[in-house]
Amino acid sequence: MAGKVIEFRHVIKSFDETQVLKQIDFEIEAGKFYTLLGPSGCGKTTILRLIAGFLHPTSGEILFNGQTINEVPANQRQVNTVFQDYALFPHLNVEQNVAFGLEIKKVDKKIIKNKISDALKLVQLSGYGQRNIDELSGGQKQRVAIARAIVNEPKVLLLDEPLSALDHKLRKEMQGELRALQQRLGITFIFVTHDQEEALAMSDQIFVMNAGKILQSGTPVDIYDEPINHFVADFIGESNIIPGKMKDDYIVTFDGHDFECVDAGMKTNEAVEIVIRPEDLDIAPANTGKMNVTVDTQLFRGVDYQITAHDVNDNEWKINSIHKTTVGQMVGLNFDPEDIHVMRFGEDEATFDARLEQYE
Amino acid sequence: MKKKFHLSNLYLILVFAVLYLPILYLIFYSFNAGKTMDKFTGFSWQHYLTLFADTRMISIVINTVIIAVLSALIATLIGTFGALGIQQLRKRSLRNCILSLNNVLMVSPDVIIGASFLIFFTFLGIKLGFGSVLLSHIAFSIPIVVLMVLPKIDEMSQVMIDAAYDLGATKWQALTRVVLPAITPGIFAGYFMAFTYSLDDFAVTFFVTGNGFSTLSVEIYSRARQGIDLEVNALSTLMFVVSLLLVGGYYALTRYNESKKIHRARAAEEEISQ
Ligand SMILES: Nc1ncnc2c1ncn2[C@@H]1O[C@H](COP(=O)(O)OP(=O)(O)OP(=O)(O)O)[C@@H](O)[C@H]1O
Ligand SMILES: [Mg+2]
Repeated sequence: MAGKVIEFRHVIKSFDETQVLKQIDFEIEAGKFYTLLGPSGCGKTTILRLIAGFLHPTSGEILFNGQTINEVPANQRQVNTVFQDYALFPHLNVEQNVAFGLEIKKVDKKIIKNKISDALKLVQLSGYGQRNIDELSGGQKQRVAIARAIVNEPKVLLLDEPLSALDHKLRKEMQGELRALQQRLGITFIFVTHDQEEALAMSDQIFVMNAGKILQSGTPVDIYDEPINHFVADFIGESNIIPGKMKDDYIVTFDGHDFECVDAGMKTNEAVEIVIRPEDLDIAPANTGKMNVTVDTQLFRGVDYQITAHDVNDNEWKINSIHKTTVGQMVGLNFDPEDIHVMRFGEDEATFDARLEQYE
Repeated sequence: MKKKFHLSNLYLILVFAVLYLPILYLIFYSFNAGKTMDKFTGFSWQHYLTLFADTRMISIVINTVIIAVLSALIATLIGTFGALGIQQLRKRSLRNCILSLNNVLMVSPDVIIGASFLIFFTFLGIKLGFGSVLLSHIAFSIPIVVLMVLPKIDEMSQVMIDAAYDLGATKWQALTRVVLPAITPGIFAGYFMAFTYSLDDFAVTFFVTGNGFSTLSVEIYSRARQGIDLEVNALSTLMFVVSLLLVGGYYALTRYNESKKIHRARAAEEEISQ
């Protein structure tokens, strides 16, 4: 692999007195699709603006291909941005918008023409070159913004919630197209979203953020299956989070019973939280499963039923089942040891990774 | 429903009648064969002939237009960059303070501004005439331009400038290729406002013209003191026609641009569907 393109070392960003980014460290490898995922206001845009050069870190270092770029101004960085509201130039038509960066670099007119037509073909907008910006739909504007960025052949493309203004169907379509585009071009994408589904569907690597910190990074599968803490588990998909106790390696207690699990490396009787995803729970007749719950609500969603239930300790359980049950009825729940994921309180990512390395 | 519609129409007609009647009255008498506006004695071009023979009046008209064009141009330049500067101000209080200073100039009576210019120019020993009129017109036009341009700058998304930098533009390129085109409508509006203010102005100009130099409003005022000559009517008629032509031309131009845009969109649609 080509190695690191971008690296953040202990980056802190404050506006006036408020610290918006608290010690951010990460590495971005060439040619991959990265996603910054987190709730509104957690600092995603701030990270992108630091990479693009619109902001400068309060302390820490940002490296590009191994060189510090803290002092390099935005117009000299080899990154381009697709802005959240597109930021197209309304007084220029589609072609002129796409040509903007190349004209600034004084590229030969003929070459510009070819590159524009290639870029527009890539985003499926051939023939729209002469259109004015206000004559385009949201999805088309979005594509023009992407064409305007990639025509400069940046090393890294930054995308700030580029799909948030689109309707559901177009959004799904564009997710696929963006992913395909990234693989075809081989450019590193850093994509920002607060939509976990989108992040899981598109990324090679996800950084989950909250309140100015990166809580966990990993592949979509890693993060979904092994969230580091309550916040990540809750933010990434639906989950049942139940308080428990680590009785021994590979044995966890919750709801008054001992269960076999695949986690280890914790103190005896350490208080923990366990996560079980709703789709990992199977419904069985009462008293035949590993535990019993009483069904509270049931909602048909097309592919399955979304069921909520409670156990004897009044913990709420969410279950996705293809079989129908009856509200008010007691049913059994079955799950496998590997469906249980144990989370410690306040464990940081390095310790978490090291422990997982050792025991799994 | 229908009755209400009629009433509102009647209202409009009344308002426009009140607004336009004096002008029409004036135009009507510019063709009078007689010498006063008391009685219409017959049709004649005679007042127009006197006007065209009146070289002093013609040169004053030209002076007035030159002052208006020049002062509006310079004021637009200064005002636009001033507005850009004000927009850059980070501190809200400072920005509001400067804006208030700007607005005070807008609302303070022309007589006071004119008098203060007179004192200022005599203090500095500047000779009254073309230069002093031009300077004062520039000065009172700048706040107008700032007021017309600033909203356009505020309206423009800041992200667009970031986008320009992102694509490699320098500060200057971002200004000329993105910011200025985006606020062009405001700049034009500012220019035309400054232009008409300069044409119109009487009070300020009256103080700073001095001997030998005069603008239209000052000249007409001094002539009117000896009783209105119908030559003035002829001049007003010509100016009214010119403004009508200007407004009509502007309207036709925007219509033409719109239709061109729609046409192009259609053409693009067809090309794509093929
Ligand atoms: N220029 C600024 N001055 C002061 N505070 C700022 C500035 N820009 C951002 N912030 C603050 O920094 C925090 C992070 O902002 P940021 O825009 O990075 O959030 P985000 O994760 O992109 O959120 P969203 O999903 O809503 O876009 C917010 O609390 C915001 O109020
Ligand atoms: Mg944001």
